[in-house]
Amino acid sequence: MSAFIRAAVALAALAAPATAAEPAPAPKPKADPADAIAALIDRHLAADWAARGVRPADPAGDAEFVRRVYLDLVGRAPKVAETRAFLDDPSPNKRAALVDRLMTLPGYAGHLAAVTRAAWLPQTMTNQFANAGFQFENWLRTRFRDNTPADEVVRRILTIRFTVNAQNRQFRFVQPADPTDPEAATLVGFYQANEARAENLGSAASRLFVGVKLECAQCHDHPFAPYTREQFWEFAAFFAELNETTAPRPGAVGPPAPPRPGLKNTLGIPNTDKTVEARFFDGTSPEWTADRSPRQELADWLTRRDNPFFAKNMANRMWAHFFGFGIQDPVDEPGADNPPSHPQLLEDLGRAFAAAGFDNRALIRGITRSKAYGLSSKLTHPSQADPRRFARMSLKGLTPAQLFDSLVAATGHREPGYMRDYRFGFNAQPDNPRSQFLTRFATNERVTEASTTILQALMLMNGRFVTDVTSIEKGEVLGAIADVPGWSTEQRVSALFLAAFARGPAPEELEVFASYVDRGGATGDKKKALADVFWVLLNSPEFLFNH
Amino acid sequence: MPSLDSLLSRRQLLRVGAVSTAVSMSGWMGRLAAAAEDAKKKPKRSCVLLWMNGGPSTIDLWDLKVGHENGGPYKEIEAAPGLMIGEHLPKIARHGDRLAVLRGMSTKEGDHGRGTYLMRTGQLPGAAGIQYPSVGALVSKELGDPAAELPNFISIAPQRFFSQEAFGPGFLGPVHAPLVVGENQNFNNPNGNGIDDALKVADLERPRAIDEATAAARLDLLRGMQEDFAAGRPGPVARSHAAAYDRAVRLMKSEGGKVFDLTTEKAETRDKYGRNLFGQGCLLARRLVEKGVPFVEVTLGNWDTHGNNFELVKNLCGTLDAAWGALMDDLKDRGLLDTTTVVWMGEFGRTPKINQGRGRDHYPNAWSTVLAGGGIKGGQAVGKTSKDGTTVEERPTATRDMLATLCLALGIDYEKTNPSNVGRPIRIVDKPCDPVTEVVA
Repeated sequence: MSAFIRAAVALAALAAPATAAEPAPAPKPKADPADAIAALIDRHLAADWAARGVRPADPAGDAEFVRRVYLDLVGRAPKVAETRAFLDDPSPNKRAALVDRLMTLPGYAGHLAAVTRAAWLPQTMTNQFANAGFQFENWLRTRFRDNTPADEVVRRILTIRFTVNAQNRQFRFVQPADPTDPEAATLVGFYQANEARAENLGSAASRLFVGVKLECAQCHDHPFAPYTREQFWEFAAFFAELNETTAPRPGAVGPPAPPRPGLKNTLGIPNTDKTVEARFFDGTSPEWTADRSPRQELADWLTRRDNPFFAKNMANRMWAHFFGFGIQDPVDEPGADNPPSHPQLLEDLGRAFAAAGFDNRALIRGITRSKAYGLSSKLTHPSQADPRRFARMSLKGLTPAQLFDSLVAATGHREPGYMRDYRFGFNAQPDNPRSQFLTRFATNERVTEASTTILQALMLMNGRFVTDVTSIEKGEVLGAIADVPGWSTEQRVSALFLAAFARGPAPEELEVFASYVDRGGATGDKKKALADVFWVLLNSPEFLFNH
Repeated sequence: MPSLDSLLSRRQLLRVGAVSTAVSMSGWMGRLAAAAEDAKKKPKRSCVLLWMNGGPSTIDLWDLKVGHENGGPYKEIEAAPGLMIGEHLPKIARHGDRLAVLRGMSTKEGDHGRGTYLMRTGQLPGAAGIQYPSVGALVSKELGDPAAELPNFISIAPQRFFSQEAFGPGFLGPVHAPLVVGENQNFNNPNGNGIDDALKVADLERPRAIDEATAAARLDLLRGMQEDFAAGRPGPVARSHAAAYDRAVRLMKSEGGKVFDLTTEKAETRDKYGRNLFGQGCLLARRLVEKGVPFVEVTLGNWDTHGNNFELVKNLCGTLDAAWGALMDDLKDRGLLDTTTVVWMGEFGRTPKINQGRGRDHYPNAWSTVLAGGGIKGGQAVGKTSKDGTTVEERPTATRDMLATLCLALGIDYEKTNPSNVGRPIRIVDKPCDPVTEVVA
């Protein structure tokens, strides 16, 4: 009964369907780096649109915006009460205020950490390194919660002190040099997930932090970009100490090899006689000193304010999170044949991010205040079709967790805590719907190309979880909406739309669905017909995607 | 002002083309009827891939080194005049006249993930950001009927943890994604009735509380919502949603879905294939080929025999021999062996040298794969390894050579190109490739 009252109270304020209102501009009294960032985005995109004759899409209404920003920031669609509160808020500054508030919720750190883990350590999504990925994600959560600057995050990953046991040829084992250092104990997972190989870490650091995918140059000169095999191994040489056997491991056979003296900044190129010394991507070398490791030098070089790659790359990755496409896209494949869509915007965005002290929240506040982020996903003119003009919001697939959390939010499903903590994308458990969704919807596709499989469609149509939450008996929100005394059919249908789409129905939709319910659907039972409506909404692309 | 079409990428255009039949006006029932008509037309070509996950010890199955210290304890048996194979494959040996063993396989990758990707796509992983399709998706595109009631690529009991993407449709798009049944993610194979459940399409049945009229009414409303939403949002995401629902509904409504119910088979037939996931998977593969599905794969795992190789391989051979032997029997009895090409392979072979734990380790340098049935000139082995099995001495065969050979057997033009996700056209089997024409009938 309490669930009924709770839902009924939440719904009671429901009035007419929300209409899209143009948000008033939100000026801030003092110089806010976010406003400067939003302004530079708007300026560059407006110039580009004018030059190309692009007519941007309509501004997103409050309903489209609130759903989008919840999904992007806290990893789920808003609940009815949250949507209602936002739509009813008359404040002209409510969009910026909502972004600020969402970034204080635990869901913000959780979602950003999950997305970052998936991008930085994709190999931990399904295989033997899942545990390393899980720990790394937990560490990232704290970083996002504390708003640790992006340069500091990367520096900490790159400079932990570790020892390596490589006595088992099949498996190198990375351990913290100081077993009492909890951060190092977690972050060794980053190295372990990259198989503790210098070449893998070199690839990862280049791809993730420089924004250049070098893997192709591992075996031969890069086919489409001017990177040589030698450059690849020079960069990998910053991780040369991984090739040392420096610590014994319980159960290992034989004594450890004594460490080579001196700096570990050289690496042999396999199948050649050549040994290269660590060198930065721009051809320069650090001033080697005995008390600073190659990884410290690398971290220093990367995060220097005048590094031409780092700030742009990190800002571009954050941009891609919100728009589905990077300004440089793919984010790690720059080159003559793949230039950024807006080179100057990327320059300025990187510079602004660095000037703001690599403050992720300032960057996010800036991006989400931009005009482009606030555009509708609905195409109204052919000039909006190219997603790389950012003239309308791209359609993005949901991560499996976003999908399940949105289903929970929409349906009022009550999930035990231990299930809520489940995060692996494999190993479906019989009575844990989250595990089943995470497994069935696991994917490594980019969000703007998210495909739906037959099995996913079947699960959403016929699976036990959706069947339960769309039944009058078991569905919390549905049951409440069906039972509120004194409501008209139109009010009930509107409430279901609000729960599923964060908007009320359009007049034609209201007509179609309310008349369906009034005639009792296919069985003559009005309540069951209401359940049908909810099922339809939850199976609709408008629910299943971020738009 | 550029037109809408000119702004869509080639990939998107490809997908529009592929999906447009699925979202046209005619509705699901109309397409069902059309699909049934199409199915009657011509004998279909099919491919069954028997995927040996973990890297099979081909030196103990197809290219024995009897008498050499690398040979191990197994003896040879004759499968066809001059074609000797391992003694633990007697039922397969009975079909020796239909088998061609490629003994000169020499590939590049000795890591499970990379080897899996290479053998299933003909490409190295991660190259230039191109999402290469798996061989199943390529065959689905070439031989599949877009209007068929069953998906054109069905993957039975896959173990995708080594390389998820090696099983996907890549740049060919979601229409060519596999329908997966019996996915095995934890090395714990189901047994008994669990196998029957595992091999069914999950959630294919309408919930009991929902009657047919309600289901139809729901889908009707849903289609309206899909069309309204997609109308203003062109692109692969909404299209894929519509395509998947369309195919799922087709599968639910059709008789095709019943093909997954193995309980209708006679007990002795089921026994013959072996009452295990792979055996019953091969039985299902035969049923799917009978329904005209162009690409079916069945995975048998646990080939990663670093220790105790000979015990483990003998056991695995028991499972493999019964299932594949029965599959060959049944295809032959039904007149389907001439139109069905069976491929047997894993991600690499295993070291000729036997290690301290009586095991064999990863070895891509010299190993074997097998092609059988339709389009294949059987009863022979092509390629030759050295006495100790460590190097290929005749007809070295790379991954692409083998895949191109498979294409020839299936009547597919392997030089044809598809537009990739980066816009560059990519051949079905990329250059360089030199098919083993000696085994093509």
